Amino acid sequence: MTVTEPKPSYKYVGTRPVRHDGLEKVTGRARFAADLNMSGQIHGIVVRSPHAHARIVSIDTSEAEAMPGVKAVITGDDFPAVEPGHRQYDMCINVIARDKVFYEGHALAAVAASTRDQAQAAAAAVKVTYEVLPAVLTIEAAMAPDAPVLHAHMMTAGADPPAEQPSNISNVTRFSSGELDSGFAQADLVIEREFTTQPVHQGYIEPHACVADTGQDGHTTIWCSSQGHFSVRSSTATLLGWENTRIRVIPAEIGGGFGGKTTIYLEPLAVALSAKAGRPVKMVMTRDEVFRATGPAPGTKLRIKLGAKSDGSLVAGDAYLIYTNGAYTGSGGLLGAMTVFESYKIPNFEIEALDVVINTARSAAYRAPAAPLTAFAMETMLDEIATDLGIDPIDLRIQNAVTEGDPSTMGFPFARIGFVECLEAVRDHPNYKAPLGPNQGRGVAAGYWFNIGESSSATVNLNEDGTATVVTGSPDIGGSRASMALMAAEELGIDVHDIRPVVGDTEAVGFTDTTEGSRATFATGMAVVEACRRMVVELRGRAAKMMGVDIDDVDWVDGQAVYTGSDDEKAPLSVAEITAKAKRTGGPLTATGSLEAHGAGPGFAVHVCDLEVDPETGVVRVVRYTASQDAGTAIHPSYVEGQIHGGVAQGIGWALNEEYIYDSDGVMENPSFLDYRVPVASDLPMIDAIIVEVPNPAHPYGVRGVGETGIVPPIPAVANAIHSATGCRIRDLPMSPVRVLGAITSNGGSNGA
Amino acid sequence: MAVRVHLSSNLRGPTGGVAEVEADGSTVGALIDDLDRRYPGLGDALRAGVSVVIDGLLIAHPEYEPLADGGRIYFVPQTAGGSSHA
Amino acid sequence: MSRVHVTCTINGDPAEFLCDGGQTLLDALRDEVGLTGAKEGCGTGDCGACSVVMDGRLLCSCLVLAPEAEGTTISTVEGMASGDDLHPLQQCFLEGAALQCGVCTPGFLVAARALLDRNPDPDETEIRYGLAGNLCRCTGYDKIVRAVQAAATEITAINES
Ligand code: FES
Ligand code: FES
Repeated sequence: MTVTEPKPSYKYVGTRPVRHDGLEKVTGRARFAADLNMSGQIHGIVVRSPHAHARIVSIDTSEAEAMPGVKAVITGDDFPAVEPGHRQYDMCINVIARDKVFYEGHALAAVAASTRDQAQAAAAAVKVTYEVLPAVLTIEAAMAPDAPVLHAHMMTAGADPPAEQPSNISNVTRFSSGELDSGFAQADLVIEREFTTQPVHQGYIEPHACVADTGQDGHTTIWCSSQGHFSVRSSTATLLGWENTRIRVIPAEIGGGFGGKTTIYLEPLAVALSAKAGRPVKMVMTRDEVFRATGPAPGTKLRIKLGAKSDGSLVAGDAYLIYTNGAYTGSGGLLGAMTVFESYKIPNFEIEALDVVINTARSAAYRAPAAPLTAFAMETMLDEIATDLGIDPIDLRIQNAVTEGDPSTMGFPFARIGFVECLEAVRDHPNYKAPLGPNQGRGVAAGYWFNIGESSSATVNLNEDGTATVVTGSPDIGGSRASMALMAAEELGIDVHDIRPVVGDTEAVGFTDTTEGSRATFATGMAVVEACRRMVVELRGRAAKMMGVDIDDVDWVDGQAVYTGSDDEKAPLSVAEITAKAKRTGGPLTATGSLEAHGAGPGFAVHVCDLEVDPETGVVRVVRYTASQDAGTAIHPSYVEGQIHGGVAQGIGWALNEEYIYDSDGVMENPSFLDYRVPVASDLPMIDAIIVEVPNPAHPYGVRGVGETGIVPPIPAVANAIHSATGCRIRDLPMSPVRVLGAITSNGGSNGA
Repeated sequence: MAVRVHLSSNLRGPTGGVAEVEADGSTVGALIDDLDRRYPGLGDALRAGVSVVIDGLLIAHPEYEPLADGGRIYFVPQTAGGSSHA
Repeated sequence: MSRVHVTCTINGDPAEFLCDGGQTLLDALRDEVGLTGAKEGCGTGDCGACSVVMDGRLLCSCLVLAPEAEGTTISTVEGMASGDDLHPLQQCFLEGAALQCGVCTPGFLVAARALLDRNPDPDETEIRYGLAGNLCRCTGYDKIVRAVQAAATEITAINES
């Protein structure tokens, strides 16, 4: 670990206690959504489109309704109509199709029956008549002048001049600074490269699942696995045309999300089925459904031109980025534009980014959305520049790295950030200079993610025995409960194991935004700290009463109320002594913190990858990997390392073999773990995580989100290492054996630099 | 209250491409009203969803955020982090 | 539809359940017996989240038909701890932070125990290949491999003492 700035010494923050929810998880007792069963429960199954693009002419449910065990059948007609322009139009028509289906696997009806088998049989008996339309499956096809238009209302947002015809381009984003032409005129080296990447899936191991129980009073309870139960509530209400408060959402344990469980698929269907059947309805996706109908991160086509002086300084950048967000509007392009040049000082740049719709599943967020792909392009090009100019790749990055006060792409100056510290940490790590064997290569790459704040709530309750319960509204997707307990322990001076962190349901805790944008430990942590600080004031007041002194003469030190006045000495009071007398000093001790967190600090990461390429087969094996990342302050270092490890593993899978493969009709050909293939243990080496700590000035403990940045550098780090091993530049993902072998055998590669 | 306003480049249509302008307002909401008076159409663009950066802090929902005289504010696209349908 | 009556031993206790002929062992354990520790990540034998040991063999319970369990001895994650004492693997997973979301954890624990039963002193490569049938999307496997190494050392020490 590298600590780059002096920080206060903490008793709990920065330690590695066993997590509070760990025992349940190693004994099989933890309850994930699919583990829940309600009394009288029946089972729901979704009817999905076999076509990538079709008009729904009719849906006949009569035969299905008459089948044994069937209790309810629903279609889009059971939900309020939505018109384009509605705030959540895309989400609404994605959860259940109305007049058109936009991708293979698009939900268009659902059936509930006593058993899953009965529901499945009835789902197969729903008769749908389609008018099959030509499927648009690639960026090129979507942008062709005569392309079939998916959404008749889609006028490109942000187009200048304004769009006059509907098209498949949903948005255009442009950023610029300085003068592009004069920038390139100063350059001694100009390179321009193109890249293509395919959609990939988040690949969480737990399929989407929920149970909904709708009562005769028109209120419903949903148990589900999600990254944000408050947003499940509001999105479900929107689809049903209900008030939010008719819905209570109780979060189950969540088996991985990575962004893919920030949106909803099943919940409104389960509620509608439950309302119709008068029974609790459980719905669990199969893995096949997860692949076909949820998740993918966008595929892209990227073209970037960079200009550098011979001393290595970047002088100009021109980026043209196209993201496909599946069948609906998305923000891949915007996020790509915000990240592509963000890490480096480039005085003259222009960025144009497009979002394009095609007939594939609606994309969802995936860990630092869009950024791994802009990094793939940018960081491999920097590697080329370093090679061409004979500059060490880390030195080149240090020379151009943004630091405090430098303008971001959007113009505002960066606050304190730890990019250079991450670069130095990798440069000084033994991995960077270690000898390489035959056919081995080394690649370096950096990554950036901006992180977010948003709303969070926390309640701290002191129990009779002096222990505390901390209730927050943030689903714990990677160990955040332990972080909440650590911050509360530090504030209150209560042992971390005497604090029970709990995720409260939508009626048990104040509104809290979704666990996304690496915000839980940052923003919800701030709410916990605020609640604890209020609690400390309360504790001092109670202690003052018990001591018979003024509150201003009582300090809170190490979990005890300490008298600081000039009267006779008084024995300090512990939390347990104060809570034991709570009834006599004013009642139960409870405090809340609710806030809109500002100042989420950006996170930077720098990775070095060593790998070996088999020249006979093109198979790439990562043999050593080191990753540095600025965590601001690591509250629980083990879980910060865990986030880094997880991001690296997903990034390596993305680099080397993950991709959606469609046939010519838009039917997904690899919708199973066997065929899609995420990395397994034997594909990866140990991953050395270096936690860099440059505290975020906006957080009481200096926290920066750590959940996302780690997935940004691996793709270019792998690509640069493949170049180092083979001399070939591969600019299309995935860098599968076929592609690597093709590059090697075609004499330096078709893409060779 | 006079404030220096920096617009990210995608928001500069109504200012004719000018990045930095001056406007008045004691809160971000009032500032946007004044910007709209000076640069018709800019108000809609800003109200459609932007974040601001004031004193190094990114603020996602800034309408009532107070502004200091002579201060500096940066308007940037709303960043929804992981919630974005990328 | 007549259901099949199955008698077997689960985690050391005699067990009986009724199942459909086409039901998987995973579904029977979860829905008929009420043991939800084994998870369904795929239902096609590709993720290992449903790992159980049946008559000494590690297998994916999603690929076994429930009636095949007749007369067998099955162990699941729920049977790993003895009373108050966690199995060293469980303890090492906890202490080594070898889980994040934890949905893969029951499968890894069952598979790792089977691995250590077979090979009490595996090296890193043997652990990685031994657990290659189990997917984890959260941890990058680093801390899982280390936890299994730590547990192997501990089990050896216990056996020697
Ligand atoms: S559920 Fe059995 S292997 Fe995945
Ligand atoms: S801990 Fe989440 S899949 Fe392994």
